[in-house]
Amino acid sequence: MSQPTGVIHDIGYRHYDGPRLGRGGAAVALWVYSLRGTFGLGRTFKSKIMPFLLFGAMMLPAVVSIAIMALLKQAPLSYTDYAVFMQAVIAIFLAAQAPVLVAPDLRHRVIPLYLSRPVTIIDYIGAKLAAMIAALLILMVVPLTLQFVGEMLIDLPMPLHTHEYLAGLAGSLINAVLLASIGLTLASFTPRRGLGVASVIAFYMFTLAASTVLFGVFTSEGHTEAAGWGFMLNPFFLVNAVQVNLFGTPSTSGEPVPGGAGPALVVVAVVLLALAALYARYRKALAA
Amino acid sequence: MNTVVASITYRAMLGRKRVWLLALLPIALIGFALLFRFIGGGDESVAVDLMKIFAIGTVLPLLGLIAGTGVIAPEIEDGTIMHLMSKPISRPVIAFTKFVVAASLMVAFSVIPTYVAAYILIGTESGIASGFALGALFAGIAYAAVFLLLGVVSRHAVTIGVIYALVWEGLIGGYVPGARRFSIQQWAQSIADQVTTSAFLKSEVALSFAVPAMIIVVAGSVVWAGQRLRVLSLTGDE
Repeated sequence: MSQPTGVIHDIGYRHYDGPRLGRGGAAVALWVYSLRGTFGLGRTFKSKIMPFLLFGAMMLPAVVSIAIMALLKQAPLSYTDYAVFMQAVIAIFLAAQAPVLVAPDLRHRVIPLYLSRPVTIIDYIGAKLAAMIAALLILMVVPLTLQFVGEMLIDLPMPLHTHEYLAGLAGSLINAVLLASIGLTLASFTPRRGLGVASVIAFYMFTLAASTVLFGVFTSEGHTEAAGWGFMLNPFFLVNAVQVNLFGTPSTSGEPVPGGAGPALVVVAVVLLALAALYARYRKALAA
Repeated sequence: MNTVVASITYRAMLGRKRVWLLALLPIALIGFALLFRFIGGGDESVAVDLMKIFAIGTVLPLLGLIAGTGVIAPEIEDGTIMHLMSKPISRPVIAFTKFVVAASLMVAFSVIPTYVAAYILIGTESGIASGFALGALFAGIAYAAVFLLLGVVSRHAVTIGVIYALVWEGLIGGYVPGARRFSIQQWAQSIADQVTTSAFLKSEVALSFAVPAMIIVVAGSVVWAGQRLRVLSLTGDE
Protein backbone atom coordinates (compact mmCIF):
# COMPACT_ATOMS: atom_id res chain seq x y z
CA MET A 1 0.00 0.00 0.00
CA SER A 2 1.71 3.16 -1.10
CA GLN A 3 0.96 6.44 0.52
CA PRO A 4 1.60 9.68 -1.35
CA THR A 5 5.11 10.66 -0.31
CA GLY A 6 5.19 14.27 -1.44
CA VAL A 7 2.57 16.90 -0.73
CA ILE A 8 2.44 20.34 -2.29
CA HIS A 9 1.73 22.72 0.51
CA ASP A 10 -0.01 26.01 0.05
CA ILE A 11 2.54 28.31 1.62
CA GLY A 12 0.63 31.45 0.87
CA TYR A 13 2.07 32.82 -2.35
CA ARG A 14 -0.23 35.48 -3.72
CA HIS A 15 -0.89 36.82 -7.13
CA TYR A 16 -0.35 40.45 -7.89
CA ASP A 17 -3.79 41.92 -8.43
CA GLY A 18 -2.88 45.60 -8.56
CA PRO A 19 -2.80 47.74 -11.67
CA ARG A 20 -0.20 46.81 -14.28
CA LEU A 21 1.56 49.90 -15.54
CA GLY A 22 2.82 48.29 -18.72
CA ARG A 23 5.56 49.45 -21.04
CA GLY A 24 5.35 53.16 -20.28
CA GLY A 25 5.39 52.63 -16.53
CA ALA A 26 8.39 50.33 -16.75
CA ALA A 27 10.30 52.78 -18.93
CA VAL A 28 9.56 55.67 -16.57
CA ALA A 29 10.62 53.57 -13.57
CA LEU A 30 13.87 52.74 -15.35
CA TRP A 31 14.39 56.43 -16.14
CA VAL A 32 13.87 57.50 -12.52
CA TYR A 33 16.12 54.71 -11.24
CA SER A 34 18.88 55.65 -13.72
CA LEU A 35 18.61 59.36 -13.00
CA ARG A 36 18.92 58.70 -9.27
CA GLY A 37 21.89 56.48 -10.07
CA THR A 38 23.76 59.27 -11.87
CA PHE A 39 23.82 61.23 -8.60
CA GLY A 40 24.43 58.13 -6.48
CA LEU A 41 21.03 58.39 -4.78
CA GLY A 42 19.97 55.04 -3.42
CA ARG A 43 23.58 53.87 -3.65
CA THR A 44 26.40 53.84 -1.12
CA PHE A 45 27.88 57.03 0.27
CA LYS A 46 31.04 56.46 -1.76
CA SER A 47 29.17 56.68 -5.05
CA LYS A 48 27.57 59.97 -3.99
CA ILE A 49 30.90 61.76 -3.40
CA MET A 50 31.95 62.28 -7.00
CA PRO A 51 28.66 63.54 -8.53
CA PHE A 52 27.96 65.90 -5.66
CA LEU A 53 31.54 67.19 -5.62
CA LEU A 54 31.25 68.00 -9.32
CA PHE A 55 27.79 69.51 -8.85
CA GLY A 56 29.25 71.71 -6.10
CA ALA A 57 32.09 72.78 -8.41
CA MET A 58 29.49 73.67 -11.04
CA MET A 59 27.60 75.89 -8.56
CA LEU A 60 30.70 77.74 -7.39
CA PRO A 61 30.91 80.39 -10.15
CA ALA A 62 27.18 81.14 -9.83
CA VAL A 63 27.55 81.73 -6.08
CA VAL A 64 30.61 83.92 -6.59
CA SER A 65 28.80 85.79 -9.35
CA ILE A 66 25.84 86.49 -7.05
CA ALA A 67 28.20 87.76 -4.38
CA ILE A 68 29.89 90.07 -6.91
CA MET A 69 26.50 91.33 -8.12
CA ALA A 70 25.37 92.03 -4.56
CA LEU A 71 28.55 93.69 -3.34
CA LEU A 72 29.97 95.43 -6.40
CA LYS A 73 26.79 95.90 -8.48
CA GLN A 74 28.53 94.44 -11.52
CA ALA A 75 27.01 92.43 -14.35
CA PRO A 76 26.70 88.69 -13.70
CA LEU A 77 28.80 86.04 -15.41
CA SER A 78 27.63 85.53 -18.97
CA TYR A 79 24.82 82.94 -19.07
CA THR A 80 25.77 81.83 -22.55
CA ASP A 81 29.43 81.22 -21.64
CA TYR A 82 28.81 79.24 -18.46
CA ALA A 83 28.99 75.79 -20.06
CA VAL A 84 32.14 76.67 -22.00
CA PHE A 85 33.89 78.00 -18.89
CA MET A 86 32.93 74.97 -16.85
CA GLN A 87 33.44 72.43 -19.63
CA ALA A 88 36.07 70.44 -17.72
CA VAL A 89 33.65 69.82 -14.84
CA ILE A 90 30.79 68.88 -17.17
CA ALA A 91 33.05 66.54 -19.14
CA ILE A 92 34.33 64.85 -15.98
CA PHE A 93 30.76 64.42 -14.75
CA LEU A 94 29.78 62.85 -18.06
CA ALA A 95 32.82 60.57 -18.06
CA ALA A 96 32.40 59.53 -14.43
CA GLN A 97 28.65 58.93 -14.51
CA ALA A 98 27.84 57.65 -18.03
CA PRO A 99 29.49 54.27 -17.34
CA VAL A 100 27.52 54.04 -14.06
CA LEU A 101 24.35 53.93 -16.18
CA VAL A 102 25.38 51.33 -18.72
CA ALA A 103 28.34 49.27 -17.44
CA PRO A 104 26.79 47.17 -14.61
CA ASP A 105 23.92 45.86 -16.76
CA LEU A 106 26.35 44.89 -19.50
CA ARG A 107 28.86 43.32 -17.14
CA HIS A 108 26.29 41.19 -15.33
CA ARG A 109 24.49 40.37 -18.60
CA VAL A 110 21.08 41.31 -17.27
CA ILE A 111 19.75 43.08 -20.38
CA PRO A 112 17.68 39.98 -21.34
CA LEU A 113 16.04 40.16 -17.89
CA TYR A 114 14.90 43.73 -18.59
CA LEU A 115 13.58 42.59 -21.95
CA SER A 116 11.56 39.76 -20.38
CA ARG A 117 9.34 42.58 -19.08
CA PRO A 118 7.28 44.85 -21.34
CA VAL A 119 10.38 47.04 -21.87
CA THR A 120 11.83 46.97 -25.39
CA ILE A 121 15.44 47.72 -26.33
CA ILE A 122 14.36 51.17 -27.56
CA ASP A 123 12.71 51.90 -24.18
CA TYR A 124 15.82 50.75 -22.36
CA ILE A 125 18.20 52.93 -24.39
CA GLY A 126 15.69 55.78 -24.33
CA ALA A 127 15.36 55.65 -20.55
CA LYS A 128 19.15 55.58 -20.04
CA LEU A 129 19.66 58.41 -22.54
CA ALA A 130 16.86 60.50 -21.02
CA ALA A 131 18.35 59.94 -17.57
CA MET A 132 21.81 61.13 -18.70
CA ILE A 133 20.29 64.14 -20.49
CA ALA A 134 18.27 65.02 -17.38
CA ALA A 135 21.32 64.66 -15.14
CA LEU A 136 23.40 66.94 -17.39
CA LEU A 137 20.51 69.42 -17.55
CA ILE A 138 20.34 69.52 -13.75
CA LEU A 139 24.11 70.07 -13.68
CA MET A 140 23.96 73.00 -16.14
CA VAL A 141 20.56 74.58 -15.56
CA VAL A 142 20.53 74.78 -11.75
CA PRO A 143 23.55 77.16 -11.52
CA LEU A 144 22.18 79.31 -14.37
CA THR A 145 18.78 79.52 -12.70
CA LEU A 146 20.29 80.26 -9.31
CA GLN A 147 22.29 83.10 -10.82
CA PHE A 148 19.20 84.40 -12.65
CA VAL A 149 17.11 84.34 -9.48
CA GLY A 150 19.97 86.15 -7.75
CA GLU A 151 20.04 88.75 -10.50
CA MET A 152 16.28 89.28 -10.17
CA LEU A 153 16.49 89.75 -6.40
CA ILE A 154 19.49 92.09 -6.50
CA ASP A 155 18.51 95.40 -8.09
CA LEU A 156 21.20 95.95 -10.68
CA PRO A 157 21.41 99.31 -12.50
CA MET A 158 20.86 97.49 -15.81
CA PRO A 159 18.08 95.49 -17.48
CA LEU A 160 17.72 91.79 -16.64
CA HIS A 161 19.68 89.42 -18.88
CA THR A 162 16.51 87.44 -19.70
CA HIS A 163 17.43 86.82 -23.33
CA GLU A 164 20.91 85.57 -22.37
CA TYR A 165 19.42 83.36 -19.67
CA LEU A 166 16.97 81.76 -22.11
CA ALA A 167 19.74 81.32 -24.69
CA GLY A 168 21.83 79.67 -21.97
CA LEU A 169 18.97 77.29 -21.18
CA ALA A 170 18.58 76.34 -24.84
CA GLY A 171 22.34 75.88 -25.11
CA SER A 172 22.28 73.64 -22.04
CA LEU A 173 19.61 71.47 -23.65
CA ILE A 174 21.62 71.10 -26.88
CA ASN A 175 24.75 70.42 -24.86
CA ALA A 176 23.00 67.81 -22.74
CA VAL A 177 21.60 65.94 -25.76
CA LEU A 178 24.90 65.99 -27.65
CA LEU A 179 27.09 65.03 -24.68
CA ALA A 180 24.71 62.35 -23.37
CA SER A 181 24.52 60.59 -26.72
CA ILE A 182 28.29 60.66 -27.25
CA GLY A 183 29.07 59.73 -23.63
CA LEU A 184 26.62 56.84 -23.35
CA THR A 185 27.67 55.42 -26.70
CA LEU A 186 31.38 55.47 -25.84
CA ALA A 187 30.72 54.09 -22.34
CA SER A 188 28.52 51.27 -23.65
CA PHE A 189 31.35 49.74 -25.66
CA THR A 190 33.00 48.33 -22.54
CA PRO A 191 31.38 46.50 -19.62
CA ARG A 192 34.14 47.82 -17.33
CA ARG A 193 33.48 51.08 -15.56
CA GLY A 194 37.10 52.25 -15.40
CA LEU A 195 37.65 51.75 -19.11
CA GLY A 196 34.36 53.49 -19.84
CA VAL A 197 35.45 56.54 -17.84
CA ALA A 198 38.80 56.52 -19.63
CA SER A 199 37.32 56.30 -23.12
CA VAL A 200 34.81 59.11 -22.55
CA ILE A 201 37.40 61.44 -21.05
CA ALA A 202 39.93 60.48 -23.73
CA PHE A 203 37.39 61.57 -26.34
CA TYR A 204 36.87 64.92 -24.60
CA MET A 205 40.56 65.65 -23.95
CA PHE A 206 41.39 64.68 -27.52
CA THR A 207 38.83 67.09 -28.98
CA LEU A 208 39.92 69.81 -26.54
CA ALA A 209 43.61 69.60 -27.46
CA ALA A 210 42.99 68.95 -31.15
CA SER A 211 40.70 71.97 -31.48
CA THR A 212 43.27 74.23 -29.77
CA VAL A 213 46.18 73.00 -31.88
CA LEU A 214 44.22 73.02 -35.17
CA PHE A 215 42.89 76.52 -34.50
CA GLY A 216 46.37 77.81 -33.73
CA VAL A 217 48.02 76.28 -36.77
CA PHE A 218 45.28 77.14 -39.26
CA THR A 219 45.19 80.73 -38.00
CA SER A 220 48.94 81.19 -38.27
CA GLU A 221 48.80 79.71 -41.79
CA GLY A 222 45.98 82.10 -42.76
CA HIS A 223 43.23 79.52 -43.27
CA THR A 224 40.65 81.46 -41.25
CA GLU A 225 37.63 79.39 -42.26
CA ALA A 226 39.37 76.09 -41.55
CA ALA A 227 40.52 77.54 -38.21
CA GLY A 228 36.90 78.25 -37.26
CA TRP A 229 35.89 74.69 -38.10
CA GLY A 230 38.94 73.30 -36.30
CA PHE A 231 37.62 74.99 -33.18
CA MET A 232 34.28 73.23 -33.67
CA LEU A 233 35.94 69.88 -32.92
CA ASN A 234 35.38 70.59 -29.23
CA PRO A 235 31.69 69.78 -28.55
CA PHE A 236 31.33 72.71 -26.15
CA PHE A 237 32.49 75.22 -28.76
CA LEU A 238 30.27 73.53 -31.36
CA VAL A 239 27.21 74.02 -29.16
CA ASN A 240 28.36 77.56 -28.41
CA ALA A 241 28.41 78.24 -32.15
CA VAL A 242 24.87 76.87 -32.54
CA GLN A 243 23.83 79.13 -29.69
CA VAL A 244 25.46 82.13 -31.36
CA ASN A 245 23.72 81.41 -34.65
CA LEU A 246 20.33 80.83 -33.02
CA PHE A 247 20.21 83.67 -30.53
CA GLY A 248 22.75 86.20 -31.77
CA THR A 249 24.66 86.12 -28.47
CA PRO A 250 28.42 86.84 -28.60
CA SER A 251 30.68 83.78 -28.92
CA THR A 252 32.72 82.82 -25.86
CA SER A 253 36.06 82.74 -27.65
CA GLY A 254 35.48 86.20 -29.16
CA GLU A 255 36.29 84.70 -32.55
CA PRO A 256 33.65 84.63 -35.31
CA VAL A 257 32.04 81.19 -35.55
CA PRO A 258 31.01 79.34 -38.72
CA GLY A 259 27.62 80.86 -39.51
CA GLY A 260 24.42 79.50 -40.97
CA ALA A 261 23.04 76.07 -40.26
CA GLY A 262 26.44 74.32 -40.47
CA PRO A 263 27.19 73.81 -36.76
CA ALA A 264 23.58 72.82 -36.03
CA LEU A 265 23.68 70.22 -38.81
CA VAL A 266 26.93 68.83 -37.41
CA VAL A 267 25.30 68.51 -33.96
CA VAL A 268 22.30 66.67 -35.43
CA ALA A 269 24.54 64.39 -37.50
CA VAL A 270 26.78 63.53 -34.52
CA VAL A 271 23.77 62.79 -32.29
CA LEU A 272 22.15 60.55 -34.93
CA LEU A 273 25.42 58.74 -35.56
CA ALA A 274 25.99 58.18 -31.84
CA LEU A 275 22.44 56.90 -31.32
CA ALA A 276 22.73 54.53 -34.28
CA ALA A 277 25.97 53.14 -32.81
CA LEU A 278 24.33 52.83 -29.38
CA TYR A 279 21.38 50.93 -30.86
CA ALA A 280 23.69 48.63 -32.83
CA ARG A 281 25.71 48.01 -29.65
CA TYR A 282 22.67 46.84 -27.71
CA ARG A 283 21.38 44.70 -30.55
CA LYS A 284 24.74 42.97 -30.43
CA ALA A 285 24.73 42.69 -26.64
CA LEU A 286 21.39 40.96 -26.92
CA ALA A 287 22.54 38.49 -29.53
CA ALA A 288 25.66 37.58 -27.56
CA MET B 1 59.56 41.19 -11.61
CA ASN B 2 57.55 38.10 -12.51
CA THR B 3 57.42 37.23 -16.20
CA VAL B 4 54.19 35.22 -16.02
CA VAL B 5 52.33 38.07 -14.33
CA ALA B 6 53.83 40.43 -16.89
CA SER B 7 52.73 38.35 -19.87
CA ILE B 8 49.19 38.02 -18.49
CA THR B 9 49.05 41.77 -17.99
CA TYR B 10 50.32 42.44 -21.51
CA ARG B 11 47.66 40.14 -22.89
CA ALA B 12 44.96 41.94 -20.88
CA MET B 13 46.15 45.36 -22.07
CA LEU B 14 46.79 44.57 -25.72
CA GLY B 15 44.22 41.88 -26.39
CA ARG B 16 41.52 42.38 -29.01
CA LYS B 17 39.78 45.76 -28.97
CA ARG B 18 41.56 47.01 -25.85
CA VAL B 19 44.67 47.97 -27.80
CA TRP B 20 42.71 50.60 -29.77
CA LEU B 21 42.21 52.68 -26.66
CA LEU B 22 46.01 52.88 -26.40
CA ALA B 23 46.72 53.14 -30.12
CA LEU B 24 44.21 55.75 -31.30
CA LEU B 25 45.77 58.72 -29.49
CA PRO B 26 49.35 58.25 -30.75
CA ILE B 27 47.96 57.61 -34.24
CA ALA B 28 46.10 60.94 -34.00
CA LEU B 29 49.31 62.64 -32.81
CA ILE B 30 51.27 61.39 -35.81
CA GLY B 31 48.30 62.21 -38.05
CA PHE B 32 48.37 65.83 -36.88
CA ALA B 33 52.11 66.01 -37.48
CA LEU B 34 51.58 64.78 -41.05
CA LEU B 35 48.69 67.21 -41.59
CA PHE B 36 50.71 70.22 -40.40
CA ARG B 37 53.69 69.13 -42.46
CA PHE B 38 51.34 68.86 -45.45
CA ILE B 39 49.78 72.33 -45.07
CA GLY B 40 53.24 73.76 -44.59
CA GLY B 41 53.14 74.54 -40.87
CA GLY B 42 56.33 72.66 -40.13
CA ASP B 43 58.11 75.42 -38.25
CA GLU B 44 59.54 75.38 -34.77
CA SER B 45 56.72 77.14 -32.92
CA VAL B 46 54.09 74.79 -34.39
CA ALA B 47 56.18 71.79 -33.40
CA VAL B 48 56.65 73.06 -29.85
CA ASP B 49 52.93 73.84 -29.58
CA LEU B 50 51.88 70.44 -30.85
CA MET B 51 54.32 68.76 -28.49
CA LYS B 52 53.37 70.89 -25.49
CA ILE B 53 49.58 70.91 -25.87
CA PHE B 54 48.96 67.60 -27.57
CA ALA B 55 51.82 65.18 -26.89
CA ILE B 56 52.77 66.15 -23.33
CA GLY B 57 49.53 67.88 -22.35
CA THR B 58 46.97 65.35 -23.59
CA VAL B 59 48.30 62.08 -24.99
CA LEU B 60 50.80 61.49 -22.20
CA PRO B 61 48.45 61.89 -19.19
CA LEU B 62 45.64 60.03 -20.95
CA LEU B 63 47.85 57.08 -21.83
CA GLY B 64 49.32 57.18 -18.34
CA LEU B 65 45.78 56.99 -17.03
CA ILE B 66 44.76 54.14 -19.33
CA ALA B 67 47.99 52.15 -18.90
CA GLY B 68 48.59 52.93 -15.21
CA THR B 69 45.10 52.12 -13.98
CA GLY B 70 44.41 49.58 -16.75
CA VAL B 71 47.09 47.13 -15.61
CA ILE B 72 45.46 46.60 -12.22
CA ALA B 73 42.15 48.43 -11.66
CA PRO B 74 39.92 46.24 -13.90
CA GLU B 75 41.20 43.13 -12.10
CA ILE B 76 40.36 44.65 -8.73
CA GLU B 77 37.01 45.84 -10.03
CA ASP B 78 35.80 42.42 -11.16
CA GLY B 79 37.57 40.53 -8.38
CA THR B 80 39.87 38.40 -10.54
CA ILE B 81 42.89 39.89 -8.73
CA MET B 82 42.07 37.20 -6.13
CA HIS B 83 43.49 34.51 -8.43
CA LEU B 84 46.72 36.45 -8.69
CA MET B 85 47.02 37.31 -5.01
CA SER B 86 46.38 33.74 -3.84
CA LYS B 87 49.57 32.62 -5.62
CA PRO B 88 52.84 32.52 -3.70
CA ILE B 89 54.15 35.70 -5.29
CA SER B 90 55.00 38.61 -3.04
CA ARG B 91 52.51 41.44 -3.46
CA PRO B 92 55.18 44.16 -3.86
CA VAL B 93 56.60 42.05 -6.72
CA ILE B 94 53.14 41.97 -8.33
CA ALA B 95 52.87 45.76 -7.99
CA PHE B 96 56.38 46.26 -9.38
CA THR B 97 55.70 43.94 -12.33
CA LYS B 98 52.49 45.79 -13.15
CA PHE B 99 54.42 49.06 -12.99
CA VAL B 100 57.08 47.78 -15.39
CA VAL B 101 54.37 46.69 -17.83
CA ALA B 102 52.63 50.08 -17.62
CA ALA B 103 55.93 51.94 -18.06
CA SER B 104 56.87 49.84 -21.11
CA LEU B 105 53.44 50.53 -22.64
CA MET B 106 54.09 54.24 -22.12
CA VAL B 107 57.37 53.94 -24.02
CA ALA B 108 55.73 52.10 -26.91
CA PHE B 109 52.58 54.19 -27.21
CA SER B 110 53.70 57.62 -26.05
CA VAL B 111 57.46 58.18 -26.10
CA ILE B 112 58.15 56.71 -29.54
CA PRO B 113 55.13 58.41 -31.21
CA THR B 114 56.18 61.71 -29.59
CA TYR B 115 59.62 61.41 -31.18
CA VAL B 116 58.17 60.32 -34.53
CA ALA B 117 55.66 63.19 -34.61
CA ALA B 118 58.29 65.80 -33.77
CA TYR B 119 60.66 64.28 -36.31
CA ILE B 120 58.00 64.41 -39.04
CA LEU B 121 57.42 68.09 -38.31
CA ILE B 122 60.93 69.48 -38.06
CA GLY B 123 63.43 66.63 -38.17
CA THR B 124 66.16 66.90 -35.55
CA GLU B 125 66.19 70.72 -35.53
CA SER B 126 66.98 72.34 -32.14
CA GLY B 127 66.76 68.92 -30.47
CA ILE B 128 63.01 69.33 -30.07
CA ALA B 129 62.25 65.71 -30.99
CA SER B 130 64.78 64.17 -28.62
CA GLY B 131 64.04 66.68 -25.85
CA PHE B 132 60.31 66.03 -25.81
CA ALA B 133 60.82 62.27 -26.19
CA LEU B 134 63.10 62.30 -23.14
CA GLY B 135 60.60 64.41 -21.21
CA ALA B 136 57.80 62.06 -22.24
CA LEU B 137 59.87 59.07 -21.13
CA PHE B 138 60.41 60.35 -17.59
CA ALA B 139 56.96 61.83 -17.21
CA GLY B 140 55.37 58.72 -18.70
CA ILE B 141 57.06 56.56 -16.09
CA ALA B 142 55.93 58.96 -13.36
CA TYR B 143 52.33 58.97 -14.62
CA ALA B 144 52.33 55.16 -14.84
CA ALA B 145 53.52 54.87 -11.23
CA VAL B 146 51.11 57.47 -9.80
CA PHE B 147 48.06 56.12 -11.63
CA LEU B 148 48.98 52.53 -10.72
CA LEU B 149 48.94 53.60 -7.08
CA LEU B 150 45.59 55.34 -7.60
CA GLY B 151 44.21 52.17 -9.18
CA VAL B 152 45.13 50.17 -6.07
CA VAL B 153 43.96 52.78 -3.57
CA SER B 154 40.62 53.85 -5.03
CA ARG B 155 37.73 52.47 -7.05
CA HIS B 156 37.40 55.86 -8.65
CA ALA B 157 41.00 55.88 -9.83
CA VAL B 158 40.26 57.00 -13.37
CA THR B 159 38.01 59.87 -12.29
CA ILE B 160 40.51 61.10 -9.70
CA GLY B 161 43.30 60.79 -12.26
CA VAL B 162 41.29 62.80 -14.77
CA ILE B 163 40.63 65.50 -12.20
CA TYR B 164 44.37 65.66 -11.49
CA ALA B 165 45.32 65.85 -15.17
CA LEU B 166 42.53 68.12 -16.35
CA VAL B 167 41.74 70.35 -13.38
CA TRP B 168 44.99 70.49 -11.41
CA GLU B 169 47.52 70.41 -14.26
CA GLY B 170 45.29 72.02 -16.89
CA LEU B 171 43.15 74.62 -15.15
CA ILE B 172 44.72 75.44 -11.80
CA GLY B 173 48.24 75.04 -13.21
CA GLY B 174 47.28 77.59 -15.86
CA TYR B 175 46.49 80.30 -13.29
CA VAL B 176 48.46 79.44 -10.16
CA PRO B 177 52.23 79.27 -10.73
CA GLY B 178 52.80 77.33 -7.49
CA ALA B 179 50.58 74.48 -8.70
CA ARG B 180 52.90 73.93 -11.63
CA ARG B 181 55.64 72.69 -9.32
CA PHE B 182 53.48 69.66 -8.54
CA SER B 183 52.58 68.89 -12.13
CA ILE B 184 54.15 65.93 -13.91
CA GLN B 185 53.59 67.68 -17.26
CA GLN B 186 55.70 70.62 -16.13
CA TRP B 187 58.49 68.28 -15.03
CA ALA B 188 58.43 66.77 -18.52
CA GLN B 189 58.76 70.26 -19.99
CA SER B 190 61.73 71.01 -17.72
CA ILE B 191 63.54 67.97 -19.04
CA ALA B 192 62.59 68.79 -22.62
CA ASP B 193 63.81 72.35 -22.12
CA GLN B 194 67.14 71.04 -20.87
CA VAL B 195 67.78 69.14 -24.09
CA THR B 196 66.29 71.42 -26.71
CA THR B 197 67.76 74.76 -27.68
CA SER B 198 64.44 76.04 -29.04
CA ALA B 199 63.49 79.54 -27.88
CA PHE B 200 59.77 78.69 -28.00
CA LEU B 201 59.86 76.46 -24.94
CA LYS B 202 60.14 78.06 -21.53
CA SER B 203 59.93 75.65 -18.64
CA GLU B 204 58.52 76.83 -15.34
CA VAL B 205 60.04 74.35 -12.93
CA ALA B 206 63.74 74.09 -12.24
CA LEU B 207 65.37 70.83 -13.25
CA SER B 208 66.91 70.56 -9.78
CA PHE B 209 63.36 70.29 -8.42
CA ALA B 210 61.80 68.24 -11.20
CA VAL B 211 64.22 65.34 -11.29
CA PRO B 212 64.33 64.55 -7.54
CA ALA B 213 60.56 65.06 -7.35
CA MET B 214 60.07 62.58 -10.17
CA ILE B 215 62.32 59.96 -8.56
CA ILE B 216 60.56 60.33 -5.21
CA VAL B 217 57.12 60.13 -6.80
CA VAL B 218 57.95 57.01 -8.84
CA ALA B 219 59.70 55.12 -6.05
CA GLY B 220 57.17 56.18 -3.44
CA SER B 221 54.17 55.25 -5.58
CA VAL B 222 55.46 51.80 -6.50
CA VAL B 223 56.43 50.96 -2.91
CA TRP B 224 53.15 52.27 -1.52
CA ALA B 225 51.15 50.40 -4.17
CA GLY B 226 52.92 47.20 -3.12
CA GLN B 227 52.14 47.84 0.53
CA ARG B 228 48.50 48.63 -0.24
CA LEU B 229 48.20 45.44 -2.25
CA ARG B 230 49.24 43.46 0.84
CA VAL B 231 46.21 44.68 2.78
CA LEU B 232 43.77 44.94 -0.12
CA SER B 233 40.23 43.96 0.78
CA LEU B 234 37.73 43.12 -1.89
CA THR B 235 34.42 44.67 -1.02
CA GLY B 236 32.15 45.89 -3.76
CA ASP B 237 30.75 49.40 -3.59
CA GLU B 238 27.86 48.86 -5.97
